[in-house]
Amino acid sequence: MHNLRFDETQNRLRQKHSFRQRMLFITLIILTVFSIILLRMAYLQWLNHDLYYGKAEGNRVSVQPIAPARGKILDRNGVVLADNQPVYSLTFQRELMDNIDNTFGALQQLLPAIPSTTLEKFAQQLKHSPRHRQLILPYRLSENQAAKFAVQNHRFPGVTLSANLKRIYPFGESAVHLLGYVGRISQQDLSRLDATRYRGTENTGRAGIERFYEDRLQGYPGIQTVESNAQGRVLRTLNTLAPIAGEDITLSIDIHLQQYLENLLAGKRASVVAINPQNGEILAFVSTPLYDPNLFVDGIDHQSYNALLNDPNKPLINRALRGQYPPGSTTKPFLALGALEQGYTTMTDRIFDPGYFEFQNKRYRNWKREGHGWTDLQRSIVESVDTLYYKLSLDMGVDGIHDVLAPFGFGQLTQIDLLGEQSGILPSQEWKRRVHGKPWYRGETIVTSIGQGYNLVTPLQLAQATAILANRGQVITPHLVVDRPLDPPHQVPIKNRDHWEYVIQAMRDVVHTPAGTAWRAGLALKNKQIEAAGKTGTAQVFSLNDADYKEEELASHLHDHALFIGFAPVSRPQIALSVIVENAGGGGRVAAPIGIQAMKYYLEEIQAP
Amino acid sequence: MIRSITPPKDPLYVTPKTLLARLHLDGWLLVGLLTLLSLSVMIIYSASGGDSDVAQSHLLRILFSFGLLLVFAQIPPSKLFIITPWLFIAGIILLVAVLLIGDIGKGAQRWLDLGFIRLQPSEIMKLALPMMVAWLFAYTDFPAPLSRFILGTIIIVLTAGLIVVQPDLGTSILIAMSGLFVLFFAGLPWKIILSVLAIFAISAPILWTFLHPYQQQRVLTFLNPESDPLGSGYHIIQSKIAIGSGGVDGKGFLGSTQAHLDFLPESTTDFIFSVFAEEFGLIGVAVLLLVYGFILARGLYIASQAQDNFTRLIAVSFTLTFFIYLSVNIGMVSGLLPVVGLPLPLISYGGTSMVTIMISFGILMSIHTHKKMLST
Repeated sequence: MHNLRFDETQNRLRQKHSFRQRMLFITLIILTVFSIILLRMAYLQWLNHDLYYGKAEGNRVSVQPIAPARGKILDRNGVVLADNQPVYSLTFQRELMDNIDNTFGALQQLLPAIPSTTLEKFAQQLKHSPRHRQLILPYRLSENQAAKFAVQNHRFPGVTLSANLKRIYPFGESAVHLLGYVGRISQQDLSRLDATRYRGTENTGRAGIERFYEDRLQGYPGIQTVESNAQGRVLRTLNTLAPIAGEDITLSIDIHLQQYLENLLAGKRASVVAINPQNGEILAFVSTPLYDPNLFVDGIDHQSYNALLNDPNKPLINRALRGQYPPGSTTKPFLALGALEQGYTTMTDRIFDPGYFEFQNKRYRNWKREGHGWTDLQRSIVESVDTLYYKLSLDMGVDGIHDVLAPFGFGQLTQIDLLGEQSGILPSQEWKRRVHGKPWYRGETIVTSIGQGYNLVTPLQLAQATAILANRGQVITPHLVVDRPLDPPHQVPIKNRDHWEYVIQAMRDVVHTPAGTAWRAGLALKNKQIEAAGKTGTAQVFSLNDADYKEEELASHLHDHALFIGFAPVSRPQIALSVIVENAGGGGRVAAPIGIQAMKYYLEEIQAP
Repeated sequence: MIRSITPPKDPLYVTPKTLLARLHLDGWLLVGLLTLLSLSVMIIYSASGGDSDVAQSHLLRILFSFGLLLVFAQIPPSKLFIITPWLFIAGIILLVAVLLIGDIGKGAQRWLDLGFIRLQPSEIMKLALPMMVAWLFAYTDFPAPLSRFILGTIIIVLTAGLIVVQPDLGTSILIAMSGLFVLFFAGLPWKIILSVLAIFAISAPILWTFLHPYQQQRVLTFLNPESDPLGSGYHIIQSKIAIGSGGVDGKGFLGSTQAHLDFLPESTTDFIFSVFAEEFGLIGVAVLLLVYGFILARGLYIASQAQDNFTRLIAVSFTLTFFIYLSVNIGMVSGLLPVVGLPLPLISYGGTSMVTIMISFGILMSIHTHKKMLST
C-alpha cells in the first residue's frame, strides 16, 4: 500500500518534471520563432523599407502623357477644314479579364450596335495575343454608347473606356490634296519625330498642310501623375501639367471657291491653282479626282488603299503641285513679253503666216492650216499664231528663250508651303547637255517656242507665272498659310512698261474680242463689268508629225491637254489662275470656260459682297 | 504523507464569486482575445477598403464565436472527456462522407452540405483529434506504454490521411501537428522523436513526388518568387512590398495602398497580416506579437496548472496549434514559408477557423475554471 502510493508519487513527480522540461523546450521554440519573425520584419520594414516603399509607389503611381489637341486648319474666313472630334474606344487587356467569351457576350448584350463579326474577330485576335498586350477594339463608340458602358464598366474587368481626339475633315474629299491628312505614327516617323513630344499622340501629319505645318499643329504634351489600381484603372489624378494645344492655322484659300472649282472639274483629271497676285495668297488649289482623307486617320485598310493606288485616274497624285505638263501656247505671252523687253522684236513688227514655217526643209505647222496671214505680236497672242514664235525662236535661240522665261519662275520651285513640289523643265543648251548628254538642235528650239518639246510646267508654276505677269513683274512667294513668313517680294526688271501693258492688252483681247481663242468662254463676262485677261493652250501629248489630229481616233490618254491661264480684273488683278484638264482637247473649248467661270465667281460672289 | 488538516471550504461562502468566475471565464485570456479581435475588426475594415458591411459581418461572426466560447466554457472537462470518443467517431464519419458526397470548392472537396448548414468536417477534427489522442493518455502511468503511442499515431495518420485526400495538405499537416503535440507532452521518448525526424528528412524527396502539382508549384514559387511574378509568385511579391513599404511606423490606419488598390490579393483573409504591417509598421507588428505571445503564455500557464493528463494535454495542444497557425501565416506572408492557405488566427476575415479557435479557447477557460478541490 505504502509502496504503491510512493510509486504513484514518484510517477507524478517524474511526469511533472518531464512536462516542465518539455514546456520549457517548447517555450524556447516559440521565442525563437517570434525572434525570427521580428528579425524578418525588421529586415523588410526597416532595412529594406526604401526598396519596398519605392515598389509600392511604382505599383500605385504612374505618369501618363496627355496628348495635346492638334491645331485646327481654317480657311480664310474661319471655316474649319480640319477639326478634332472626341471619340471613344474600348481597350482590352487579357491578363486582367475573367473570361473572354463571357466578357464579349455581356458586351454584345450591353451594346448591340457593335457588329457581332467585329467582336468575334477581335476576340480571336485577343486570345492569340500576349496576355499583357493592350488591344483596342476597332470600333468607335458613340457618346451614348460610351456613357452606357461607363456605368457598367465594373462588370468588365480588363476593359477600359478611353476617350481620344480624332482628326476629322468635315468637308470630306474637298481640298484633300491641299490639306493632306494625318495617319498613325509609324516606326519610320519615330526616327524623324521628337519622341518625347509625341508621347500620347497617335497621329502625325502625312501629307499637305498637315505635314508641312506639323510643327505648329502638333503642340506639346502634358503630363499627369495618376493613381491606378491593380486592374490598371485610374482612380484619381494626383498632379497635372496641362498640355499646350497645337496652333490653329488659317489658310488663304476660300473653301467656297475651292468647292466651286471642284464641282466644275468633277469627273475630270484636272487641276486649277488660283493666286491673289497682290499678296501671293493661294485662293484655290484644286486637283481632281479627289479622295477622302478621313480614310487615312485610323489607318487605311489594304483594300481601300489598293483601290486608290490602282485607280487609273490616280486620285492620290497632287496634280496642282506635282503634275508636269507641256505648257503649250500658254507660254506665248511670256515669250512675247520677253522678246519685246530683250529687243528681239517690236510691238509693230509683222510676219506673214502661210500656215506653216519652213526650217531645214521641214515644215512646222500652225494649228490653223490655212494660216493667219499678216500677223503682229498682238494678233499672235489673241489668235495664238504659232508661226510667229517659230521664227522668233530662231532669233532668240533656246538660251534666249530660257533667259526670258526664267524670271517668271519656269523650271524652278515656287517655294510654296507644301512638300514634294516638282520644278518642271525649262530647257537650255546647258540643261540638255547636263541631263541628256547631247547637244541642242535648233529644230528643238522651234517646238520649245510654243511650249512643247522638253518644256514642262506644274499648274502651280503656271499660276505663279500668270500672277507675276498680272502683277506687272512683282514676284511674291505663293503660300497657303496667311501668316507664313516670306522673303520680301522682288521685281522682274522692267525695261519698258508699255511692253507689259501691250501683252496684257493682247491677253485681254483673247477673252474679249471675237477673234480671241477664249472669246466664246469670255461671253460669260459680257454683261458684268469684269475685264479679264487670258491665254489658252492646247498641249500635245503625242507627236502627230504631219497627220491631222482627230480626237476620236486617238486613245483618250493621248488626247491633248487643255490649258488656260488668266487674271482679272485687268487693271488691278485680284485673281490669277491656271487651268489644266488632262486629255480633254482644246484649251479654248474646255479649259477657258472653267478659268473664266472661276474668276467671275470669285470676283462677283466672294470679293464683291 | 501529511494530510492537510484544513477541511475543504465551501466556495460559495468563502470566496465571493466574480462575474467572470460565474461565467467560467479566464480574465487574462479574455483580455488578450478581445484585444486581438478589436484589432481584427479595425484592420478588416481597412483592408476591405473601408467597407463597413464587411466589418459588420465580421463583428457578427465574432459575436457568434464568442457565444460558442461562452457555451464551451460552461462544459466541465469531465463531460468533454465522456463525449470525446463519440465526437471523434462522428468526425471520421463526416470526413468519409465529405469524400463521397462533398461539395467541390476552390478545387478541393472540403465541404459537406447538410441542407441547413455547410459543414467543414476537418474543422471538427481540429478539436476532436487532439482530444481523442489526449483521451488515450488520460489514465496511463508515466511514461505511458509504447502501445498507447502507437495507437495515438494510428489515429493521427488515419485522420490526416482522410484530410490530405480531400485534398487539403495544409489543414492535414496542422491537424497532425495538434495530435503530435499531445504525443510529445504525453512523454513520447526523445529517442523515437529524433529517429522519426531523421527518417522524415531522408524520405522528403520521395514525399515530394506525392505532392499535387499545385503544391509543388507553391513550394517552388516560395523558393524563388521572382521566377513567376505575375503567376503564383505575385502574392508573395506584393505581400512583401506591402510589409516593407510600411516601414517602422507604418502608413497609418486606412493607409494601405497595396490593399486599397487591389495589388495585394486576399487582403482581408490570408494576407491580412501584410495590410496590418503596412499600416502599423514594425512597431505595430511588435505589439501584435506581444498580444499573441501573451495569449500563448496564458494558454501554456493554464496547461501547466491543469489537474489531470487529459486537460493538460488538450490545453497545451490547443495553445500550440494556435501558435503554429499564426507563425505559419506570418511566415508565409513575409516570404519565410511557402504559400499555404492558412488564415491569421483571430484576425483574418472568414468563418470556420475563427469559430474553431474560439471554441478551443472556451475549452481552455473551462479547464482553468472547473477545478476539483483535491484532497492530496
